[in-house]
Amino acid sequence: MHAQLELLLEMQDLRAQKRALDEQGLREVESDLFDIEPEEASKRIDEKLGELEDRLDPAVRQRFERLKGARERMVVPVVGGICYGCFMAVPTAWTSDAERNEDLDVCDNCGRFLYHLG
Amino acid sequence: MQLRDFFTPDAIRLELESETKDDVLKELVSLLGLDEKSEGILFKMLKRRENLGSTGIGRGIAIPHCRSLVVNRLRVAFGRKREGIDFKAIDGEPVKHIFLIVAPPLEVSNQYLPVLGKIAQFSKEADIAEKLDEIESSGEFMELLAAKGA
Repeated sequence: MHAQLELLLEMQDLRAQKRALDEQGLREVESDLFDIEPEEASKRIDEKLGELEDRLDPAVRQRFERLKGARERMVVPVVGGICYGCFMAVPTAWTSDAERNEDLDVCDNCGRFLYHLG
Repeated sequence: MQLRDFFTPDAIRLELESETKDDVLKELVSLLGLDEKSEGILFKMLKRRENLGSTGIGRGIAIPHCRSLVVNRLRVAFGRKREGIDFKAIDGEPVKHIFLIVAPPLEVSNQYLPVLGKIAQFSKEADIAEKLDEIESSGEFMELLAAKGA
Protein backbone atom coordinates (compact mmCIF):
# COMPACT_ATOMS: atom_id res chain seq x y z
CA MET A 1 0.00 0.00 0.00
CA HIS A 2 1.19 3.51 -0.81
CA ALA A 3 2.64 4.99 2.42
CA GLN A 4 0.75 8.26 2.01
CA LEU A 5 -2.51 6.41 1.38
CA GLU A 6 -1.94 4.45 4.59
CA LEU A 7 -1.45 7.73 6.42
CA LEU A 8 -4.58 9.22 4.86
CA LEU A 9 -6.61 6.15 5.81
CA GLU A 10 -5.44 6.46 9.38
CA MET A 11 -6.43 10.13 9.40
CA GLN A 12 -9.81 9.37 7.90
CA ASP A 13 -10.46 6.67 10.50
CA LEU A 14 -9.41 9.01 13.28
CA ARG A 15 -11.80 11.64 11.95
CA ALA A 16 -14.54 8.99 12.04
CA GLN A 17 -13.60 8.22 15.65
CA LYS A 18 -13.84 11.90 16.52
CA ARG A 19 -17.18 12.20 14.72
CA ALA A 20 -18.49 9.21 16.69
CA LEU A 21 -17.86 11.14 19.89
CA ASP A 22 -20.31 13.78 18.64
CA GLU A 23 -22.84 11.27 17.32
CA GLN A 24 -26.13 11.13 19.19
CA GLY A 25 -26.27 7.87 21.13
CA LEU A 26 -22.65 6.87 20.58
CA ARG A 27 -21.47 9.73 22.72
CA GLU A 28 -23.64 8.48 25.58
CA VAL A 29 -22.41 4.90 25.11
CA GLU A 30 -18.75 5.99 25.13
CA SER A 31 -19.34 8.11 28.18
CA ASP A 32 -21.66 5.87 30.23
CA LEU A 33 -20.53 2.37 29.29
CA PHE A 34 -16.81 2.94 28.64
CA ASP A 35 -16.27 5.87 30.98
CA ILE A 36 -14.72 8.05 28.27
CA GLU A 37 -14.67 11.81 28.67
CA PRO A 38 -15.74 12.90 25.15
CA GLU A 39 -14.20 16.40 25.16
CA GLU A 40 -10.85 15.16 26.41
CA ALA A 41 -10.89 12.25 23.94
CA SER A 42 -11.75 14.59 21.08
CA LYS A 43 -8.86 16.87 21.99
CA ARG A 44 -6.43 13.95 22.01
CA ILE A 45 -7.64 12.83 18.59
CA ASP A 46 -7.12 16.37 17.24
CA GLU A 47 -3.55 16.35 18.52
CA LYS A 48 -2.87 13.04 16.80
CA LEU A 49 -4.48 14.27 13.58
CA GLY A 50 -2.18 17.30 13.64
CA GLU A 51 0.86 15.05 14.02
CA LEU A 52 -0.21 12.84 11.12
CA GLU A 53 -1.01 15.83 8.90
CA ASP A 54 2.56 17.05 9.34
CA ARG A 55 3.76 13.77 7.84
CA LEU A 56 1.93 14.28 4.54
CA ASP A 57 4.01 15.09 1.45
CA PRO A 58 3.55 18.74 0.36
CA ALA A 59 1.51 17.92 -2.77
CA VAL A 60 -0.71 15.47 -0.89
CA ARG A 61 -1.11 17.91 1.94
CA GLN A 62 -2.14 20.65 -0.49
CA ARG A 63 -4.91 18.47 -1.89
CA PHE A 64 -5.82 17.32 1.60
CA GLU A 65 -6.21 20.93 2.79
CA ARG A 66 -8.32 21.79 -0.23
CA LEU A 67 -10.60 18.80 0.38
CA LYS A 68 -10.76 19.38 4.12
CA GLY A 69 -12.50 22.68 3.61
CA ALA A 70 -15.08 21.31 1.20
CA ARG A 71 -15.60 17.62 1.97
CA GLU A 72 -16.55 15.67 5.07
CA ARG A 73 -14.72 12.62 3.74
CA MET A 74 -11.41 13.05 1.96
CA VAL A 75 -10.61 9.37 1.44
CA VAL A 76 -13.39 7.21 0.07
CA PRO A 77 -13.63 3.55 -0.91
CA VAL A 78 -13.97 2.35 -4.48
CA VAL A 79 -16.44 -0.52 -4.60
CA GLY A 80 -17.36 -2.25 -7.84
CA GLY A 81 -15.61 0.45 -9.85
CA ILE A 82 -17.63 3.24 -8.23
CA CYS A 83 -16.20 6.11 -6.20
CA TYR A 84 -18.19 6.11 -2.96
CA GLY A 85 -17.66 9.83 -2.58
CA CYS A 86 -19.48 11.04 -5.70
CA PHE A 87 -20.84 7.69 -6.99
CA MET A 88 -19.26 8.09 -10.42
CA ALA A 89 -17.42 5.26 -12.17
CA VAL A 90 -13.62 5.33 -11.91
CA PRO A 91 -11.37 4.20 -14.80
CA THR A 92 -11.51 0.43 -15.20
CA ALA A 93 -7.70 0.22 -15.44
CA TRP A 94 -7.59 1.04 -11.74
CA THR A 95 -10.26 -1.37 -10.67
CA SER A 96 -8.64 -4.29 -12.48
CA ASP A 97 -5.18 -3.57 -11.11
CA ALA A 98 -4.09 -6.24 -8.61
CA GLU A 99 -1.81 -3.76 -6.86
CA ARG A 100 -4.52 -1.17 -6.71
CA ASN A 101 -3.59 0.59 -3.50
CA GLU A 102 0.10 0.77 -4.38
CA ASP A 103 -0.58 4.12 -6.10
CA LEU A 104 -2.21 7.18 -4.64
CA ASP A 105 -5.29 7.56 -6.86
CA VAL A 106 -7.73 10.42 -6.83
CA CYS A 107 -11.21 10.56 -8.32
CA ASP A 108 -11.29 12.53 -11.58
CA ASN A 109 -14.75 13.76 -10.73
CA CYS A 110 -14.71 14.77 -7.06
CA GLY A 111 -10.97 14.89 -6.36
CA ARG A 112 -11.11 12.67 -3.29
CA PHE A 113 -8.36 10.17 -2.51
CA LEU A 114 -9.43 6.65 -3.39
CA TYR A 115 -9.04 3.45 -1.40
CA HIS A 116 -9.77 0.29 -3.38
CA LEU A 117 -11.69 -2.10 -1.16
CA GLY A 118 -11.10 -5.78 -1.85
CA MET B 1 -32.24 -6.88 13.93
CA GLN B 2 -30.72 -9.86 15.76
CA LEU B 3 -27.16 -9.91 17.01
CA ARG B 4 -26.71 -13.52 15.92
CA ASP B 5 -27.24 -12.50 12.28
CA PHE B 6 -23.88 -10.71 12.35
CA PHE B 7 -21.78 -13.58 13.73
CA THR B 8 -20.31 -16.33 11.57
CA PRO B 9 -18.62 -19.48 12.93
CA ASP B 10 -15.22 -18.49 11.50
CA ALA B 11 -15.33 -15.23 13.49
CA ILE B 12 -15.79 -17.03 16.80
CA ARG B 13 -12.71 -18.39 18.58
CA LEU B 14 -13.29 -20.04 21.93
CA GLU B 15 -9.64 -20.71 22.69
CA LEU B 16 -7.65 -17.56 21.95
CA GLU B 17 -3.93 -18.29 21.80
CA SER B 18 -2.69 -14.78 22.55
CA GLU B 19 -1.29 -13.82 25.93
CA THR B 20 -1.42 -10.01 25.78
CA LYS B 21 -4.09 -7.40 25.07
CA ASP B 22 -2.40 -6.29 21.82
CA ASP B 23 -2.06 -9.85 20.58
CA VAL B 24 -5.68 -10.63 21.44
CA LEU B 25 -6.79 -7.62 19.38
CA LYS B 26 -4.61 -8.81 16.47
CA GLU B 27 -5.96 -12.35 16.77
CA LEU B 28 -9.55 -11.14 16.71
CA VAL B 29 -8.83 -8.87 13.72
CA SER B 30 -7.35 -11.89 11.93
CA LEU B 31 -10.75 -13.62 12.17
CA LEU B 32 -12.26 -11.03 9.80
CA GLY B 33 -10.34 -12.32 6.76
CA LEU B 34 -8.84 -8.98 5.68
CA ASP B 35 -5.53 -8.53 3.87
CA GLU B 36 -2.41 -7.95 5.94
CA LYS B 37 -2.24 -4.17 5.41
CA SER B 38 -5.90 -3.71 6.31
CA GLU B 39 -5.40 -5.81 9.43
CA GLY B 40 -2.52 -3.54 10.44
CA ILE B 41 -4.58 -0.38 9.92
CA LEU B 42 -7.50 -1.82 11.84
CA PHE B 43 -5.31 -2.91 14.74
CA LYS B 44 -3.83 0.57 14.90
CA MET B 45 -7.31 2.13 15.09
CA LEU B 46 -8.43 -0.28 17.80
CA LYS B 47 -5.29 0.57 19.76
CA ARG B 48 -5.98 4.27 19.38
CA ARG B 49 -9.48 3.70 20.72
CA GLU B 50 -8.10 1.68 23.65
CA ASN B 51 -5.66 4.50 24.38
CA LEU B 52 -8.61 6.84 24.96
CA GLY B 53 -9.91 4.41 27.60
CA SER B 54 -10.21 0.66 27.94
CA THR B 55 -13.21 -1.06 26.38
CA GLY B 56 -13.13 -3.59 29.21
CA ILE B 57 -16.55 -2.93 30.75
CA GLY B 58 -16.07 -5.19 33.78
CA ARG B 59 -17.10 -8.71 34.80
CA GLY B 60 -14.52 -10.17 32.43
CA ILE B 61 -15.99 -8.66 29.25
CA ALA B 62 -14.48 -6.24 26.73
CA ILE B 63 -15.99 -4.69 23.60
CA PRO B 64 -13.20 -3.22 21.44
CA HIS B 65 -14.75 -1.22 18.61
CA CYS B 66 -14.02 1.35 15.93
CA ARG B 67 -15.03 2.60 12.54
CA SER B 68 -12.61 2.02 9.67
CA LEU B 69 -12.51 2.34 5.91
CA VAL B 70 -10.88 -1.06 5.59
CA VAL B 71 -14.22 -2.85 6.05
CA ASN B 72 -17.12 -2.49 3.65
CA ARG B 73 -19.81 -3.59 6.12
CA LEU B 74 -20.25 -4.05 9.83
CA ARG B 75 -18.16 -6.95 11.12
CA VAL B 76 -18.11 -8.65 14.50
CA ALA B 77 -16.00 -11.34 16.14
CA PHE B 78 -15.94 -13.07 19.50
CA GLY B 79 -13.00 -14.52 21.37
CA ARG B 80 -12.57 -16.26 24.71
CA LYS B 81 -9.45 -16.51 26.82
CA ARG B 82 -10.25 -18.82 29.71
CA GLU B 83 -7.27 -17.70 31.81
CA GLY B 84 -8.13 -14.04 31.30
CA ILE B 85 -5.81 -11.26 30.18
CA ASP B 86 -4.99 -7.83 31.52
CA PHE B 87 -7.17 -5.48 29.49
CA LYS B 88 -6.99 -2.51 31.91
CA ALA B 89 -10.72 -3.04 32.39
CA ILE B 90 -12.83 -0.61 34.38
CA ASP B 91 -13.06 -2.99 37.35
CA GLY B 92 -9.38 -4.00 37.07
CA GLU B 93 -10.33 -7.67 36.62
CA PRO B 94 -8.85 -9.86 33.82
CA VAL B 95 -10.92 -10.07 30.64
CA LYS B 96 -12.04 -13.46 29.37
CA HIS B 97 -14.69 -12.63 26.78
CA ILE B 98 -14.05 -10.17 23.98
CA PHE B 99 -16.54 -8.91 21.41
CA LEU B 100 -14.97 -7.04 18.47
CA ILE B 101 -17.09 -4.61 16.43
CA VAL B 102 -15.88 -2.80 13.32
CA ALA B 103 -17.96 -0.69 10.97
CA PRO B 104 -17.23 1.46 7.93
CA PRO B 105 -17.31 5.24 8.52
CA LEU B 106 -20.59 5.51 6.68
CA GLU B 107 -23.23 2.79 6.71
CA VAL B 108 -26.49 2.92 4.82
CA SER B 109 -28.30 1.00 7.56
CA ASN B 110 -26.34 2.56 10.43
CA GLN B 111 -26.05 -0.61 12.51
CA TYR B 112 -22.96 0.31 14.50
CA LEU B 113 -24.69 1.88 17.49
CA PRO B 114 -27.54 -0.68 17.69
CA VAL B 115 -25.06 -3.60 17.55
CA LEU B 116 -22.81 -1.99 20.15
CA GLY B 117 -25.87 -1.41 22.33
CA LYS B 118 -27.14 -4.97 21.93
CA ILE B 119 -23.76 -6.48 22.81
CA ALA B 120 -23.55 -4.22 25.87
CA GLN B 121 -27.07 -5.25 26.91
CA PHE B 122 -26.29 -8.94 26.35
CA SER B 123 -23.07 -8.60 28.35
CA LYS B 124 -24.86 -7.07 31.31
CA GLU B 125 -27.17 -10.04 31.87
CA ALA B 126 -26.42 -11.52 35.28
CA ASP B 127 -25.50 -15.05 34.16
CA ILE B 128 -23.83 -14.25 30.85
CA ALA B 129 -20.18 -14.48 31.93
CA GLU B 130 -20.87 -17.91 33.42
CA LYS B 131 -22.72 -19.06 30.30
CA LEU B 132 -19.91 -17.83 28.04
CA ASP B 133 -17.48 -19.84 30.17
CA GLU B 134 -19.50 -23.00 29.59
CA ILE B 135 -20.00 -22.99 25.80
CA GLU B 136 -18.00 -25.57 23.87
CA SER B 137 -18.58 -24.62 20.24
CA SER B 138 -19.49 -21.73 17.97
CA GLY B 139 -22.88 -23.40 17.58
CA GLU B 140 -23.45 -23.17 21.33
CA PHE B 141 -22.41 -19.52 21.21
CA MET B 142 -25.09 -18.88 18.59
CA GLU B 143 -27.61 -20.86 20.67
CA LEU B 144 -26.79 -18.71 23.69
CA LEU B 145 -27.44 -15.54 21.68
CA ALA B 146 -30.73 -17.01 20.51
CA ALA B 147 -31.71 -18.09 24.04
CA LYS B 148 -31.16 -14.55 25.24
CA GLY B 149 -33.16 -13.15 22.35
CA ALA B 150 -30.08 -11.39 20.99
